[in-house]
Amino acid sequence: MDLLQVVELLVFPGLTFFVWLAFFFEWLERKTAARMQGRRGPVVTGPFGLLQPVADFFKLASKEEIVPAESDTFVFRWGPALYFAAPAIGIAFIPVMGYQSVLSNPIDLLFMLFVLTFSTLMATLLGYASAGRYSTIAIGRLVVQYTSYEVPLLIAMVTPAILAGSLSIEGVVSAQGSGWYILPGFVAFVVFIVAALAELEKPPFDIPEASTEIVGGWMTEFSGNALAYIKLTKNLSYVFLSALAVSLFLGGPSGPVLFSDANVQAVIYVCYFLVKLFAVGFLLFSIKTALARVRIDQAARLFWTVLTPLSLVQLAVVVLLK
Amino acid sequence: MTKEPRRKVASAMGEMFRTIVEHPVTAQYPFGKSVLPPRFRGKLDVDPVKCTGCSVCEIVCPAGVITMVPVGKKTIGSRQVDIKRPLFDLYTCISCGQCVDDCKFGALTITHDFELAVFKKKSLVMEKALKLGQ
Amino acid sequence: MQYSTEGMMPFGPVHPSLKEPEYFKLYLEGEKIVHVEPRIGYVHRGIERAAQERTWVKNIYMFERICGICSFHHSLTYTEGVEALAPFEIPKRAKYLRELVGELERIHSHLLWLGLLGHWAGFDTLFMWIWKDREHILDLEEAISGNRVNKSYTTLGGVRNDLPDGLADRIRAEMAYVEKRAEYYKSLVQSEETLVVRTKGRGRINQEIARKLCPVGPLLRCTGIARDIRAEDPYAAYDEVPPLVQTSNKGDIASLLTLRLNEITDSCRMVKETLEKMPSGPYRVNFPRSVPAGEASYHVEAPRGELFYFVKSAGGSVPERVKVRTSTLANILTATEMLKGHTLADVPVVLTGMDPCFGCMDRISVVDVDKSREWTVGGEALRRYGIEYYRRK
Repeated sequence: MDLLQVVELLVFPGLTFFVWLAFFFEWLERKTAARMQGRRGPVVTGPFGLLQPVADFFKLASKEEIVPAESDTFVFRWGPALYFAAPAIGIAFIPVMGYQSVLSNPIDLLFMLFVLTFSTLMATLLGYASAGRYSTIAIGRLVVQYTSYEVPLLIAMVTPAILAGSLSIEGVVSAQGSGWYILPGFVAFVVFIVAALAELEKPPFDIPEASTEIVGGWMTEFSGNALAYIKLTKNLSYVFLSALAVSLFLGGPSGPVLFSDANVQAVIYVCYFLVKLFAVGFLLFSIKTALARVRIDQAARLFWTVLTPLSLVQLAVVVLLK
Repeated sequence: MTKEPRRKVASAMGEMFRTIVEHPVTAQYPFGKSVLPPRFRGKLDVDPVKCTGCSVCEIVCPAGVITMVPVGKKTIGSRQVDIKRPLFDLYTCISCGQCVDDCKFGALTITHDFELAVFKKKSLVMEKALKLGQ
Repeated sequence: MQYSTEGMMPFGPVHPSLKEPEYFKLYLEGEKIVHVEPRIGYVHRGIERAAQERTWVKNIYMFERICGICSFHHSLTYTEGVEALAPFEIPKRAKYLRELVGELERIHSHLLWLGLLGHWAGFDTLFMWIWKDREHILDLEEAISGNRVNKSYTTLGGVRNDLPDGLADRIRAEMAYVEKRAEYYKSLVQSEETLVVRTKGRGRINQEIARKLCPVGPLLRCTGIARDIRAEDPYAAYDEVPPLVQTSNKGDIASLLTLRLNEITDSCRMVKETLEKMPSGPYRVNFPRSVPAGEASYHVEAPRGELFYFVKSAGGSVPERVKVRTSTLANILTATEMLKGHTLADVPVVLTGMDPCFGCMDRISVVDVDKSREWTVGGEALRRYGIEYYRRK
């Protein structure tokens, strides 16, 4: 691994870039939700309130971290770092500047699935380590929700892989040069979006984090630095899943070639990627703002009886057409 | 009996996209001025000239804001009586306006001032009526 | 019946979904609720005792601060109760103005509840939209009385000031706007799938439970029993501008939603009718400082149900006793009954289906289990009891 790769991994288009994108996504989410509700959203910090998520992060990081006495202190204190690591390593596999990502592997789509599973596992562990009444109920709901959405999500992610004939994200992105997979795989895209809402714990599936019922869900007992990183990880997962959707269904950074110079073209590719990313993000925000929270049994019923068969049907169609 | 509307998901989407292009309703206080109706009840104000020290305001105030303080003496017949004037502890005032209603001389008014945050409680004690009016 | 305390989930007293603190012990098996034990008294402020030391007019300001949402109805009941002790009539215009502001308050209270239901169900967008429309009503109330919440509009003998000039047209315009929005919200809460599955069939009560546990207000009317004090025992100007009593017979939270929306539409109609029929004349008469001796009990239909005041005068300038029984106290047992068999996720939605106002509710009731006696203590007796108890310790 040479120096250039390390810089790419850490700065651009790696961790720093995506962390700033995560802050920007949170700003975008708050602004669009506010405008749809007739409010203004963040206004004061920075121009148009752009620095509000950054200010929130630093505010939380400056607060005292309270560790409950009955909790498993080791997991409680070091768990959030692992929780952050999951999407942080996942984003390195998303192609941003061209058809190549910073890290790649012939079967990295499976690694993405592992990253998503690991995220939820860490959330469950963190809730379990908190040992509070609200956290215990929350992780029960989280596990039920996870087992419900995992299967449709898996099938929806595998569908573009079958269309492309490759299990690596780079391969899927390259194969979409002839046509984005959103068209043949539209049902898979819809299933992916709905399952993404469940993975991110956004309405209508913010059941494990239902603030009006169980205070903070599995995040209830966290405060200070740990909470700052947990919130950052949630925003990073938002970006990560949107980026996955863009890579798998919208052709990643591909688009019309405008310049012959490879470096300038790379910048253009980044712009295409960002535009598509914001489009998917906006779609997720709109759905999230429009819906109430469903109960856990209703969510489980929705996933098992509606989304799983839909995704299977799509998979069958794709396999037959190949 | 009206027919129940058909159930669909995200039926709020239309309204949402309509709202997104409308002007937001949040008032940008303190960067923008807020319009107050004429009857808005803010801070109490007293006109020392009109006050005669009749003490009715002290009796009717529900929050115990007003204390009549002796500021001099005058002779009525063969007795010396205190001349009293009101002292207002405006940090207790609930701006109900009962004293305004009951003051026969029109010495009390409710203003539109609502920015009453101060560093010291003493700043909100109104003593201007303690000077004897002409 | 003993329930295992391991499965006891405390809901409150401090909880993000409760506006005011109350303690509900939810006995759970998994996520299913088998028993609910409410424990009240967290917002007890000793108002009834404090009323005995303040003059009749000062008490108006105190009683309207029992609750922020139905504050006008508290002051209305109190003033009409005290005026019942006096031998002369309140001018007609004052009664019409009281009805006008009372109905405006009903609209704002129902809109508040609807928005909060959206918030408790996780639907923040609905919350923001409804409260945005509620601002129109609050601005109207501010234009009439000077304050949005504790309006201090009634006084002994009438109302404190008349409608400002030109406000009548603005009121009519706002009522038309609110009616249009209420229609939209009615279609939204009935068609939005995620909200319907949270509210339909939840918190089922029927007429049998209603007759046993005696709820009041919309909670009673959603079972099909049409009881409304404005229609049965008219006060203010309700004998000349009566309400259309709304009922539903489904008895669940979804029917409470449509019921309250219908009540909003009806209140808009009543406001417009009041404006048309309002007689001219004085809006206030002088009221004596000392109220003649006697006892009067008075009840009104607050937005949440029956609000009952008992006023006793010994002929002095302070009341001898004022007793308040608010609607949430009557509804709380029904609400806990509604919760049984539901899951924890339904608790915010169902519990707040009764539109709780715990600030109104707290009066202490003492049950002496040994002597099998139950009585309500006044503040002075309680204070003496406390001193004795700790002195003996």
